[in-house]
Amino acid sequence: MSSVAGGLAYFIPAAQLAIESTGKVLQVTPSPSTLPSPSSSAAATVAPINGAFTVLLLGSDDDSKFIGDHVLTQSMILVRVVPSTKQVTMLSIPRDLFVHLSTGGSAKIDGAYSYGGANAAVATVEQDFGVHIDDYIWIGLLGLVKLIDAIGGIDVVTSNPVFDDYYPADIYSNWPYDFERVAVLAGPQHLDGLHAMQYVRSRHGDLQSDIGRSQRQQQVLIAIRQKAKQLSPADLPALSAALGGELKTSMGLSKVAQLLPLASSFDNPDAINQVILANPYTHGCGCPETYLTANWGLILPLVHEYFP
Amino acid sequence: MVVVGTFSYIYLGSRQSKVAVPPEKPTVSTPRAQAVVLPGTLYVTQSGALYDLSAGRFHQLTAEAGWTQPTVTPDGNSLLVVRQNALFSDVYVLNRFGHVVRQVTDNAAPPRNLDIGYNHWSFYPRLSADGQTLWMTYDGLKCHPECYDVSLAVWSMPFNGNIRQAHAWTDGGYYTGGDVQPIPLAGGVLYTKYSYGPDGKLVGQLWFTSRAGSYGRPLTDPSVDCRSPSLSPDGTQFAMVCTYEKQVSYLTIASWTGETLGPLKNIITNQLVAQPTWAPDGSGIAYFAPGAPAGPFQLWWLPKAAYAPPPPSPSPSPTPGGPHNGPLPSPSPAAAAPPVRPVQLTTNNGFDATSTMVWLG
Repeated sequence: MSSVAGGLAYFIPAAQLAIESTGKVLQVTPSPSTLPSPSSSAAATVAPINGAFTVLLLGSDDDSKFIGDHVLTQSMILVRVVPSTKQVTMLSIPRDLFVHLSTGGSAKIDGAYSYGGANAAVATVEQDFGVHIDDYIWIGLLGLVKLIDAIGGIDVVTSNPVFDDYYPADIYSNWPYDFERVAVLAGPQHLDGLHAMQYVRSRHGDLQSDIGRSQRQQQVLIAIRQKAKQLSPADLPALSAALGGELKTSMGLSKVAQLLPLASSFDNPDAINQVILANPYTHGCGCPETYLTANWGLILPLVHEYFP
Repeated sequence: MVVVGTFSYIYLGSRQSKVAVPPEKPTVSTPRAQAVVLPGTLYVTQSGALYDLSAGRFHQLTAEAGWTQPTVTPDGNSLLVVRQNALFSDVYVLNRFGHVVRQVTDNAAPPRNLDIGYNHWSFYPRLSADGQTLWMTYDGLKCHPECYDVSLAVWSMPFNGNIRQAHAWTDGGYYTGGDVQPIPLAGGVLYTKYSYGPDGKLVGQLWFTSRAGSYGRPLTDPSVDCRSPSLSPDGTQFAMVCTYEKQVSYLTIASWTGETLGPLKNIITNQLVAQPTWAPDGSGIAYFAPGAPAGPFQLWWLPKAAYAPPPPSPSPSPTPGGPHNGPLPSPSPAAAAPPVRPVQLTTNNGFDATSTMVWLG
């Protein structure tokens, strides 16, 4: 146990910088059996990364309504980082998009993870969008709440009031089908983990439903990146404790170490491209299952422009 | 390896984290010594408690019990404050010492009703200049239970009446967003409307409507994404924050004719500004902004000279005398006045940046 803890303490500085570099959420926690040694010198010896890379961020409702790892990915965001130009592109994939799954058959894309885990989600996105994904990061509901609390909250300019009379009270409630009222006011503010989660998760009353929610998720990711720049080694024990079990990633230490030199070099908000696949890229099919149909003739050129 | 890892973990855990330090109560320490002492009394909220700042010291007026968005009655003797809990929020009248005088709205669902959707929210209360009409943001236009929408709209009601006498001035649009932050003015009400701009994004705009039910008219462009209007004491300027649809928040001012806004002037562009509020004597603008990057919101002060510099002093008039035979003396260039910068008044207080502040002279 202590070796795991020590390993995490060693690992997270690189992880934090990876967060900054990708412009997004966290990373860390490979399985303890593969955790790098604190005495490893890999981070100090590898060359900085120069080429562009792509990460798939996955966020899931993992409350007690779900069994084990068979969860849906309510949030899927492709992030491409181009170190040479300091450009970051975030593309939100609608969870209701009807696609061919890598595991066979067709369904909403949020089911790919539940059928085959993160690898299936990655393979599905690669196959349908024609992109290469270097790594993935998955985080659960409670993990995001704990992460944001562990870094002391985030500053977000909430774009609009987010009010929801029937927001799922499934994180701390004994009955996962319960509801609560949510009122997140608009404007610049400091959000703790719970309220940040409410802001990015609520979709009732948003005319754009999941599309509107995707825009809010991207705002919070930018805020997390901003806050991650303030982290110091003193924050690492709390962070590692917060993330245990609620975060999975394919990133290894060597990759993270390669990202180190990129730290804190992405400061220009104009260099962050935020892409949402709303109409005309997708449209509802009018069927009861609320699928979104992809207009691949428009989506693929767009994706290839930002994710060549 | 295990020893090194364990040691590093224990060592790091023993150090004080700077990033997650919880904010202090404003009463723990006085504002920064080098800061100016603000005139009058400023009311702010933190963690659901109401505080005033007068003569350079904070005083806690209420318990941490959901209090937010204070405003003041026209006579300056009482405060209107919202009290928010998990299911609803109500407007209360408090005296200037924070004691409850009366509850104005009653937004809790009837006890027999177990459906939480029958509760209501009231936010951003304002009183008309004659003190007779309460303006607020209210979610009274529910389509519940047929739909999920919570439609925030601008409502008015007799200040001494009850919520059943309230009526809507705007319709709020029936989607997340809506009409908030009403400011009653002569001839109508100015407010912030959140709606979908031409690019499909939800943005804020200042709007004005002169009568209940009328469509109103926009005062700012959607692409500028402005909200949180605050009228200057002389009624000739508005301060607001504008985001340009990005994760930024500029302090912006514009002249106000009573009908139209003048050109927008961004006067702070390097901070995340919230709740700009004019000093009652017109000497500057207070606002909230993080004290450190990505940190909790602190109280800041921007002197008037930063956005309305005094006119340059006139050129010296020639000294009377006889004809000048020698070379004319070249005037020495006037020393450029140093830029006036915002002053950070608090360092670790974490004020509620979604709560208006109110300032009495």
